Formats: sequence, C-alpha cells, structure tokens
Amino acid sequence: MTANPKGGRYRAWGLIVPTGVLYAVTFGIPMAMLLSASFARFEAGRTTPGFFLDNYTRIASDGVTLQVFWNTVTLSAQITAVGLVVAFPVAMLMRRAGPGMRLALMFVLVSPLLTSIIVRNVAWMLILGRSGLINTWLMDWGLISSPLALMYNRLGVIIAVVHVYLPFAVLPIYAALRAIDPARENAAASLGAPPWRVFVHITLPLAMPGVVAAFTLLFILSMGVYLTPVILGGNFVVTLPMMITDVARNQYNWPFASAMSVLLLASIVVVVALASALNRAFSPPRND
Amino acid sequence: MTERSGSPFGYAMLAIFGALVAAFLLLPLVILCIQSFTAESFLSFPPPSYGTRWYRHVAAAANWREAALSSLVIAAIVTPLSLVLGTLAALGLDRGPMRGRGVLYGILISPMILPHIVLGLGIFRIALDLHIDDSLLSIVPAHLTITVPFVVISVGASLQSFDTGLEKAAQSLGASPLRALWHITLPIIRPGLVGGGIFAFIMSFDEFIITYFLSVQTRTLPLEIFSTLRYQVSPAIAAVSALTIAFSAALTVALMMRGQVISAGRIVR
Repeated sequence: MTANPKGGRYRAWGLIVPTGVLYAVTFGIPMAMLLSASFARFEAGRTTPGFFLDNYTRIASDGVTLQVFWNTVTLSAQITAVGLVVAFPVAMLMRRAGPGMRLALMFVLVSPLLTSIIVRNVAWMLILGRSGLINTWLMDWGLISSPLALMYNRLGVIIAVVHVYLPFAVLPIYAALRAIDPARENAAASLGAPPWRVFVHITLPLAMPGVVAAFTLLFILSMGVYLTPVILGGNFVVTLPMMITDVARNQYNWPFASAMSVLLLASIVVVVALASALNRAFSPPRND
Repeated sequence: MTERSGSPFGYAMLAIFGALVAAFLLLPLVILCIQSFTAESFLSFPPPSYGTRWYRHVAAAANWREAALSSLVIAAIVTPLSLVLGTLAALGLDRGPMRGRGVLYGILISPMILPHIVLGLGIFRIALDLHIDDSLLSIVPAHLTITVPFVVISVGASLQSFDTGLEKAAQSLGASPLRALWHITLPIIRPGLVGGGIFAFIMSFDEFIITYFLSVQTRTLPLEIFSTLRYQVSPAIAAVSALTIAFSAALTVALMMRGQVISAGRIVR
C-alpha cells in the first residue's frame, strides 16, 4: 500500500484501532471492573470497594452456589456428550456424501443457526410440553395414561440446547475428517483391516483434533447458556448464569454477581486448558 | 480400490442417522409454522381448523409491532457498523505484518468464547455508570461486540484467497489505494461481506441476554416473546415465531443462492 513496505505494514494495524476502541469500552474495561468488583464488599445494599474475599468465601461456603455451579458443569457435560455422539456420525456422513447431499446437509445444519434461539425454544415447548405434541399423541394412542415429564427438567434442556448448538459440533469434526487422506484408510483396508478397525485405529485418531474442538465449543457454550435452561427448565434446572442474572438484576448485588462471573470464566479457562492438553495427547503422527 | 473405505451398509446406516438428525433439526420449526395457522384459541397439532387469525392479531397488536420495529432498527444500525469495523480490522490483519497476527486475530474474535451473560453484566454496569442503559447508545456497541468477530472471520477468510497483486496492478495503473480497495478488493471479497453481514444481522436481531440487562423500556422481539411466554405458548407467539422463521429461511436461501452456505459453515468453525 505504500513505498515503504516495512513501516506500511505496521501502519495497516491502524485499521484495527476502531474495533480496538470498541472492545476496550465494551469488553476490556467492563471485565476489569468486574474483576475488581468481585473483591468488593456488599452490605445492606451498599458496596464498599477494596480487597475483600467475602464473595469468594460465600461461594465456597453458602452451600447453594457450589451446588448450582456443579449442576451447571454436569449439565454442560451431558449436553456435550449428547452433542458429540450425535454430531460425529453426521460429520462422517458429510464426508462420504456426494456434493448434492453434502450441500443439503450443510443447509440443514446452517438454517437453524440463522433461526432465532428463543423461537427454537418455543418450538420445543410445543413438542415437549404436558399438552405438547409427543404427550398428546402418546395418550391418544393409549401408550401412556398421564403426560410424561419431557420438559421443566434436564431432559428438555438437553434436547433444546443440543438443537441449538449441534452445528457448532458437526462443523469442526467434519473439517478434521475432510483433512484425512483416504489413502491412509485404504492402505489399512487393503492390508486386511475390517471397516471397524480402520475406523478405530485410523479415522478416529486422525479426527481427534476436530472432536476436541467440538468438545471445547459445546462445553463453553453450554456453561454460559441462559435462555434455553430458563425456558425449557422452568425453575427446576438452575444454572450459574441464571443465578448471576438473578443476583445482579433482582438483588442488585453486583459484587457477588461479579464473583460468580469470575468463577464461570475460570471454569471456561480450565476447559480450554484441558482441551489443549487433550489436543497434545491426541495429536496425530506427522503426515510424512 | 479407489473408493473411500467403509461399507455400503455403513453408509446406509449413516444416511438413516443423518435423516433422523435432519428431522430433529427441522421438524420442530415446521410443526411450529403449521400450528401458527390455527384458527382456534389454543394450539394443538394438527390444528382443527386453519386460518390467518393470529397473523392478523399480531399485525394489529401494538406490542408486537413495536418490538419487531425496535429489533429491526437495532439490527439495521448494527449490521453496517459491524461490516465497516470488521472489514477494516480484517484488512488491517491481512495487510499488517505476519508477526503478532495470530495474537491479534485471537483478541479480535475473543468475544465469541466469552459467555454473553458475563459480557452483558459488564456492559450493564458501565452503561449504568454512564447513564446510557436502556438506550441505543449502549445496546448498539454491546451488539457490535458480538457481531464484529463474525465479520472478521468471514471477511478474513475471503481475504486469504484474494490476490493482492490485483490491487497493486490497479495502483500501478494510477488508482489511489482507496479506489483500488473500492473497485477491486471489495467486489471480490463480497461473498465474505454478504455472509458476515447476514450473520451479524441475525446475531443482533436474536440477541437476548445483553439487551435483557440493558433495557427498561426498550422491547426487542426476543424480549417481547420471553415476557409473553408463560407456562403456555399462545398462538400469537407461534405466529410471531413463524414470521421470524420465514425471515430466516429467506436469508438462508439467499446464502445458498450465493453458494455461501459453506463459508457460513466456516464462520462457526
């Protein structure tokens, strides 16, 4: 862009400045304020800035917050497990499908992404509710005599969250599968390995980076999800984001809400660290 | 053996599974749309009688019209701004030195992995201090923080396959850098702009939790659906939902027509 290539190259970074300013105001400064507020003291509706560990000792000792945190972790683990199990075969299918079928699958995966999340939750309420589609039909057919509890519990939340995040799991796995040279699988097959052995010893290990990426995305997104557990879980599934919202919006206890947010962020950092450790453990042997 | 490994039987099993997943992803939305055309006061499937009763109801209801309008206004402001900010940032990365590029890219897309609840809480706090909560002044920057990363990824991907030689050629023929950018680069990376723009629009239109924190009077469509949604789904909500599905379907088709589904897939990767 200029006669002086070296200086010009660094000058190009100036184009990033507007976004940098935006992030500083909406992201950097608020996160710093959040971290500092988590060490403030909140008594009788008044916040005292300073370095107190009150909020963190409350998290550790009130018996509720840690329970809610643990619920959030196990719920996210369940969502992630279901998501991976459903996503992997779909990614396999996309790899083996012809171009037309692959485009159709891509359409099916991307179109829900472009559909409002709350609208998708409403759709599941109509299907899973007490007088929803499934219960109505099962009762009409005489298979059950009273409605099954399909929502306002974990089951409903898992179904609806997997519905929202499935594309985020399929696409990284598909990307990893597509990068596998079929010659490697063919070599194993031509040496007499049955298809399941080819899959277990060649395909799956080579696809692991994609699986780890999908795991990370699903877990992180599930830890932070608010809307779907509120709608499909009623008040029966309480997660950390729900508690943070309640404490901040209804109790105005900003310091405690901040400390819980720090806990949420810390758990995400742990998941990311775990994922990079997994990636190293599973990193496939070099191609040549 | 030139075929990819795996038996035809295995492929058939995968295809059946794929069909089930497609049904899982799409059928709930189809059923919702069918139910929205009920002429009754309660939702059931299949509806005993059909009509556009609830669409007429929604079109006449002030709360839904206002909510749809404010969602559209916010998304219409956020989308062009995200395109400008995201494209500038992507260009800056692409034209900047290799050194530090990875770190900068990571920072630029980092709001994506931050839970929106935490982002919302932080922005809510600073907006309260500045007395700009419940205003476009806080809602628009908040939405931009979510949408700009999608544009950076989408435009960045387009720029990677762009041959900068074309720009240099234009400049050697006397075009100013800005002219070269406008007449050569932007038209060529248009698929990335369209994909990023559509994603930015949808993300803003659908954003819930941050707006939920910031708004007192402002009612966007997701907020209005949420506050109307009690233990029963009313036919009015079904009609509104079906309208947004139709809108999204139109956008998806627009993406497909431009062969953009693949790059939309790249966005979420």
